[in-house]
Amino acid sequence: MIDIIGVSKRFDGKKQVTALDSVNLHIRKGEMVSLMGPSGSGKSTLLNLIGGLDRPSAGEIKLDGELLGGLTDDALTKLRRDKIGFIFQFFNLLPTLNCLENVSLPLHLRGWSTAKISERANELLNLVGLSQRLDHLPEELSGGERQRVAIARALSVYPPILLADEPTGNVDSSTGEEILGLIRDLHSRFQTTVLIVTHDKGVADSCGRRIALKDGLVVQDVTA
Amino acid sequence: MNKLVLFLFAGALLAQDARQIVEESQKLHRSRSQQYEGVLEVYDTKGGKNEKRWQYARIGSYGESRSVLRFLAPPLVKGVALLVHNHPDRASDQWMWTPELNRDRRIALQDRSTRFFGTDFSFEDLEERDVDQSDYKLLGEEALNGQACYKIESVAKKSRTTQYSRVVIWVRKDILLPVQFEMYVKAEVVKRLIHKRVEKVQNVWSTLELEMNDLKKKTRTVMKTEKLKYDVALPEEQFTLQALRRGE
Amino acid sequence: MILLRLISWQYTRKHLLRSLLTIAGIVLGVAVFVGMHTANQSVLTAFTQTVDRIAGATQLQISAGEAGFEEDILERVQNVPEVRVAVPVIEAVMNPQTKSQANILILAVDMTGDRSLRDYALESGDESFIEDPLVFLAQPDSIMITREFAAENDLKSNSELTLNSMDGPKKFIVRGIMKSSGLTTAFGGNLAIMDVYAAQKIFGRGRRFDRIDVAVQEGLDPAAVQVKLEKVLGSGFQVEPPSSRAKQFESLSSVYGMLANITSLFALFIGMFLIYNSFAIAVTQRRSEIGILRALGATRRQIQVLFLAESAVGGLVGAGLGVVLGILIARGIAGSLGQFLGEVYGVAQKAEEVSSDPRLLVGAMVLGVVTSLIAAWIPARNAARVDPVQALQKGRFQLLTAGENRMRRWTAFGLLSFVGVSLAFGHGRLIFYAGYFAAIFAGVLLVPTLGLWLARGMRPALKAIWPVEGTLAADSLIQSPRRTSGAVTALALSVSLIIALGGMTQAAYASIEEWLRVALNPDMYLAPTQNFTDRSFRFPAELASEVEKLPGVRRIQAVRIVRLPMDGEPVMFVALDVSSVTQEARLPIVSGDGPTMYSDAAAGKGVIISDNFALMHNRKRGDVLTIPTPGGPLQMPVLGVVVDFSDQKGSILLDRSVYDKYFKDTSSNVIRIYLQAGVTVGQMRERIAAQAGTRFRYFVFTNEDLRSYILKITDQWFGLTYIQIAVAVLVSILGIVNTLTVSITDRRRELGVLQAVGGLRRQIRGTIWLEAVLIGAIGLILGCGFGAVALYYALETSARDLSGMRLAYGYPFRTVLALIPIILGSAFLASLAPAEAAVRGSLVEALEYE
Repeated sequence: MIDIIGVSKRFDGKKQVTALDSVNLHIRKGEMVSLMGPSGSGKSTLLNLIGGLDRPSAGEIKLDGELLGGLTDDALTKLRRDKIGFIFQFFNLLPTLNCLENVSLPLHLRGWSTAKISERANELLNLVGLSQRLDHLPEELSGGERQRVAIARALSVYPPILLADEPTGNVDSSTGEEILGLIRDLHSRFQTTVLIVTHDKGVADSCGRRIALKDGLVVQDVTA
Repeated sequence: MNKLVLFLFAGALLAQDARQIVEESQKLHRSRSQQYEGVLEVYDTKGGKNEKRWQYARIGSYGESRSVLRFLAPPLVKGVALLVHNHPDRASDQWMWTPELNRDRRIALQDRSTRFFGTDFSFEDLEERDVDQSDYKLLGEEALNGQACYKIESVAKKSRTTQYSRVVIWVRKDILLPVQFEMYVKAEVVKRLIHKRVEKVQNVWSTLELEMNDLKKKTRTVMKTEKLKYDVALPEEQFTLQALRRGE
Repeated sequence: MILLRLISWQYTRKHLLRSLLTIAGIVLGVAVFVGMHTANQSVLTAFTQTVDRIAGATQLQISAGEAGFEEDILERVQNVPEVRVAVPVIEAVMNPQTKSQANILILAVDMTGDRSLRDYALESGDESFIEDPLVFLAQPDSIMITREFAAENDLKSNSELTLNSMDGPKKFIVRGIMKSSGLTTAFGGNLAIMDVYAAQKIFGRGRRFDRIDVAVQEGLDPAAVQVKLEKVLGSGFQVEPPSSRAKQFESLSSVYGMLANITSLFALFIGMFLIYNSFAIAVTQRRSEIGILRALGATRRQIQVLFLAESAVGGLVGAGLGVVLGILIARGIAGSLGQFLGEVYGVAQKAEEVSSDPRLLVGAMVLGVVTSLIAAWIPARNAARVDPVQALQKGRFQLLTAGENRMRRWTAFGLLSFVGVSLAFGHGRLIFYAGYFAAIFAGVLLVPTLGLWLARGMRPALKAIWPVEGTLAADSLIQSPRRTSGAVTALALSVSLIIALGGMTQAAYASIEEWLRVALNPDMYLAPTQNFTDRSFRFPAELASEVEKLPGVRRIQAVRIVRLPMDGEPVMFVALDVSSVTQEARLPIVSGDGPTMYSDAAAGKGVIISDNFALMHNRKRGDVLTIPTPGGPLQMPVLGVVVDFSDQKGSILLDRSVYDKYFKDTSSNVIRIYLQAGVTVGQMRERIAAQAGTRFRYFVFTNEDLRSYILKITDQWFGLTYIQIAVAVLVSILGIVNTLTVSITDRRRELGVLQAVGGLRRQIRGTIWLEAVLIGAIGLILGCGFGAVALYYALETSARDLSGMRLAYGYPFRTVLALIPIILGSAFLASLAPAEAAVRGSLVEALEYE
């Protein structure tokens, strides 16, 4: 499903920083993988590269056999919206839109009809247990609820890949459990390939495969 | 125009004899009327020459004379006429007739230092002036071109405005005719007027050729008098604006 | 100072583009101010220089308005003992058929006396030709030209030069080429000297002079001699130093100067909002920085001074750039402005080089800095009030507080009540303008609230059409009124200005066209020049009577138009046969009884004044005007007030017989011809040609020619006001760019999310575009509303203080229609660069952006 072949990422500044150094990974369809490592180990960078938000300095990434390197920005975006759902640590909900609108956003971007969007958005919010909060603005929700809205948004078209960057980093531990349970539930229900960046050992341990990064190198890759 | 020769100076004081000489000179060369043809040659610095001819007639005594000057050549100025009425007590009235425009104009000679139609003479140089308007001083006697002359200095009285600080005049002792003038502005000689040819006409000593030198611009103007006659019978009517307009 | 370098400079450098955009308003305002004034000044300077150089040693000039006077005045002047030289002068501008096609200023003098006033140093020429003043005087075809003009047109001594004189085309001979001197640079070197008596014929002056140039006796005070001459000549004559001619021209063109002021002040006013906006944003964005500074011990005063110093520096830089730009603008327009003012006022001058007055430049700099300081005042005060503890916490501060909004609304309401009162009771100038300013201020205060309502109102519609882009664009505005209200205000003010101008233009056109239809109904006109306002040439009375006798002519009216000083300002007098005019046309009456008014005027019992003269000079029916004439002061009652657009500064109609009697002048500037039925203009043109032949110089204008000529001048005049529109729109567009630049920075993360969840580039761009267009639309809508009020005030101001024209109120819907695509299109264009910037940035950084 996800092939990472010799991927390096360097950031040019006054001093060149190597965030990833010739990383090779193969993630199969339906795997639930955790990415761990200290700050600056390159785990978020790897997630961004897989999600097509950034491009590698060297190496190749294939999603479903498709090479990301050869795509234009817009083609990359199209690939992303069909195949990938993003869950961010800071939720990244649009503050001016209510829950329903936030969840509808990716569907609108795909140009779906209003009726279809409404149906799907309601379904998704129902799925994350927020059907009572459709017209609430993000600032009226608790942290866990916001993350659930974000997850519902990420699931918009039931993408085969779900990328989560510290999904529990900004909520208390019981809510974190709840969120993680939701992700696991979705993983098993839709056979979604899930990649979670975390530094919560508990979160990592709950994943089938645990990868650890340090200084841009894969230092551990364990499948339970 | 010959009146210049006769009247350019005026008299009086200090050396009483200097004023007397000038006054005597003026009296000696007076006439009731006068007529001549003049030639004016203006030379520029490069030796270029511009020539004009005219006819001149004057009646009336000094200070109250009337004169008409009518150009004969060159063709471009032919017919242009100048009428002057002199008054003893005030500035003269002058009119100019231009046949091409078919009209006359008054010339107000308010600024008498203005050049007289491109010659080296200024309007002031051509004025009739009363002896009493200047103070005189006899500077001595001096021979000029082999002729014994009185050398007299003339300074305008305060009541009269002039462009010159003083004028030095050479008057021939034998015939009491002035033969040279030097005009000063401050300490510098700016113009020199030389009476080049002096002859006796009808028993009156007259200057028949004059040369005015502008020493600053280095140009000169020569004026020659031909066919000079004194005491000619001329109708008074000829010296009016009407006559001028008729082109007589 | 250290703070300025450490803190402000860093911020400025980081937001360089935005900082430049911020001061762009100042740049433009100052540039317009400097440009228009410098151009105007250059024209005035050129005119003054021409006057000065031509004046030579002249200390006083005697004139009788533009009417001129008879020759005998010269003798009277010359007989004044204090006068050293008095020389008659005729001055005219004409177009000789020469290579350079340039207009030439003809200075006609009496050479016998003039040499003591002016130095005509002549070139001696190649063949040692001695220039002969006697020939010059003797031959009326003599002309003396400058070396520059000679060189430009391949003319030499004795060359022929054909001038189209009043007596038809006439050959002139160059009888002197002047060496370069002060005199020869007058009128850009296009100067020719001729004999004043020859000029009388050529320009149809009869036995009259335009003026007399005087030098006083040495040692005398010209001012004392001036008084003496005024006493000798009487009040019909103006005895003034040459410099006062420039003042008259200045007064004549003062409307233009006022327009320049309004335009630049408006640009600065709008620019002020840009600066206010930027500083308000900056203060918000830099809250934590301010908090740190305060925590480190900076006092409130220091913070306030820091922001004010920043704005002062920005203002200074902006003003500096504006001055440079302004001078460039002036270079570009001085020439055409000179020509235009010449055409409008019939006064000849030639602006060759741009001369900028250091005082103007310093004034412009001060204006720029002060504007900038005023704009930054409130944000700086807010910055000083930042609480260091709160500032260090994260949060959103873009929202206006409810209290702030309420205060704004109440203030606006109070101001509006005052406006209402001022309109109901305020006839005084002060209260009227106070009301005007209150209205503007109220509008400005209400913009955020009204803008918010509009944005909220439009959100559902936008959501329906563009669910993502539309919603986000509307939300962006709703969420950050502080960010957008400056741009919206600037735009709304610009639009309201355009509406006001559009309404005025529309009204002015309507009135002028009506006036053209009613007042200018002759079938054709004869004029001695191709330009109606040029009064260099005049028809002699014979021509009028000859034309009158031609078969097919039903009626003629020989009109004499002169400017005479009234209350120290040149005012246009129109002398014509009132009874004849009455039978053909009656001007719309403002006050007065039609039949008696005209019959009394025809009988020479009084004058009829235009309503703009009445308004500007505060005269009404029954007042007695004292008209200065060479024959002594003429007391004339005002019989009535009519609508007449003959001149911006107002006009006075009097009967030809009165004018002829007091001015002893039978010449005319225009002959109006009415044809008998069945006679065509073409036929009459031929008959006139057969009659006048080449004996007279004349130009035939049909009714249509004159109408289009006047409309052309009107167009050009309003063309100047389009500069205002362009400036206003430009500044507003800069405001939009500025706002969007800030907006995409503020919303970087939001836009990043949009891309992360699948937004394509065009969708991202779309939302920025929509935001811009939305700002444009809101500004447009508010502007259209404000415009209705602004138009009222513009019409009132124009009537009260500018032109004195009473114009009918009519909302310019066509202007609005034209504005919709212009404003929305410009807003869209303004969004292109920010939209590109929005899709270019790194997504990863955007998502992590705090």
